[in-house]
Amino acid sequence: MAFVFTFVVTLSGCSSKTLEKPSEVAVVEQESDDFNGELEGFSDEFEDKEVYDPFSGYNRAMTTFNDGMYEYALKPVANGYNYVMHVEVRESVKNFFNNLYFPMRFVNNVLQGKFSYAAEETGRFVINTTVGILGLFDPAKVHFNLEVHNEDFGQTLGFYGVGSGPHIVLPLFGPSNLRDLIGMYPDALLSPLDYTERSYWTLTDTWPEYLGAKTVEKVNYISLNMDRYEKMRGDAVDLYPYFRDVYEQYRNKQIEE
Amino acid sequence: MKNIFKKIVVLCVALLFAQNLAADEQSNLKNRFLDKINEVILIVEDKRLSKDDRNRSIVKALTPMFDFELMAKLSLGNAWRELKKENQERFIELYVERMKQSYSAKIDAYEDEKVEVKKIEQPQKNRIALTTDLVGKSEKLEIVYKYHKPSSKQADKDEWLVYDVEILGVSILKTDRAQFKEFLQTKSIYELMDALVKQS
Repeated sequence: MAFVFTFVVTLSGCSSKTLEKPSEVAVVEQESDDFNGELEGFSDEFEDKEVYDPFSGYNRAMTTFNDGMYEYALKPVANGYNYVMHVEVRESVKNFFNNLYFPMRFVNNVLQGKFSYAAEETGRFVINTTVGILGLFDPAKVHFNLEVHNEDFGQTLGFYGVGSGPHIVLPLFGPSNLRDLIGMYPDALLSPLDYTERSYWTLTDTWPEYLGAKTVEKVNYISLNMDRYEKMRGDAVDLYPYFRDVYEQYRNKQIEE
Repeated sequence: MKNIFKKIVVLCVALLFAQNLAADEQSNLKNRFLDKINEVILIVEDKRLSKDDRNRSIVKALTPMFDFELMAKLSLGNAWRELKKENQERFIELYVERMKQSYSAKIDAYEDEKVEVKKIEQPQKNRIALTTDLVGKSEKLEIVYKYHKPSSKQADKDEWLVYDVEILGVSILKTDRAQFKEFLQTKSIYELMDALVKQS
């Protein structure tokens, strides 16, 4: 009996091996090739796709503008903010905003059929809003091991196969694309930060209130991740295509998950 | 008939053995990777070293693990083949230097993070992808190290070499390819090399 078993196991090993044979042969051929053959083995992984980029002129200009805004406006402000606000206060500000975006994450998790993530998000919201005092603290993660599951409508569209469309760099927000830009509208309806009068409660109702809240969020975020942008920028030879590629690859990964 | 059966069994056993070898290969690679990480952490935590000495030691410890040359070649894509020999050599030199600088800059941000190996895959006989988590105080960063096995081992290098690193799904090599390609559409290779010099 034992013999039969090992035989079946080895046989299955056999069949998978024979299937792999052709590709192995191909690989060996490539390796024995000259120097260019070495690179040929990687051509599948690094195929050059033509990037459809009709707004590249505008995008380039906006990337330069955003970079200047970071360097000469946001960074000095964030530096000052850093100086005044203790790091724990800044963490709390970040937690507060994150907690506000719970409806967006919940709905998009549900739309993608990720019900256990949606449940985890609900648990987080309930715990952090109450025990965590309006979301200022994150006891859900620290004590209950509940993780954030970031999902937005752009990802939901991507999940159902919508392509990214042309890349668009937004003022201050930075890299985006047509799909993610469209996705911002339904997400805005689910956000308590808003610039119009709504039939339901929102934290901000007018443009000045909205922009004020968004600025605090952005400056606070930068103050917590001061060197991240600069480190990334340090690897760029050409800022625009670099950030475009980083953004698109990152979004594809998020959609895949 | 019996003879054929015997041959099949022998063949299958041999193939099973080969599969075990592949599994061994993977766990060896993982152990080697974790040893390297520990070596680097020891250097980082050695407070007696100056920042420059420290970075130099780290780069020295990691160099056998990376196939910088291959990365340099792949980063240029098709443009690589059009380069003259002396430019190829110069480009590799500059690219490797830039990689080392970039890595050192990232090490500076290190703060008691832990490295955990999450997954190990072997999509091809000569490719292994090692998925790791860099676990910090408040967040996790998924980093994938992609290894290939060159057909012949180089003297001062490991058997398996990293040719690409993916951080949160962003491949260093793909990003470089994209930006170099666009750069070379309007500018020359000499301008690209100048830009690389400025970075390191």
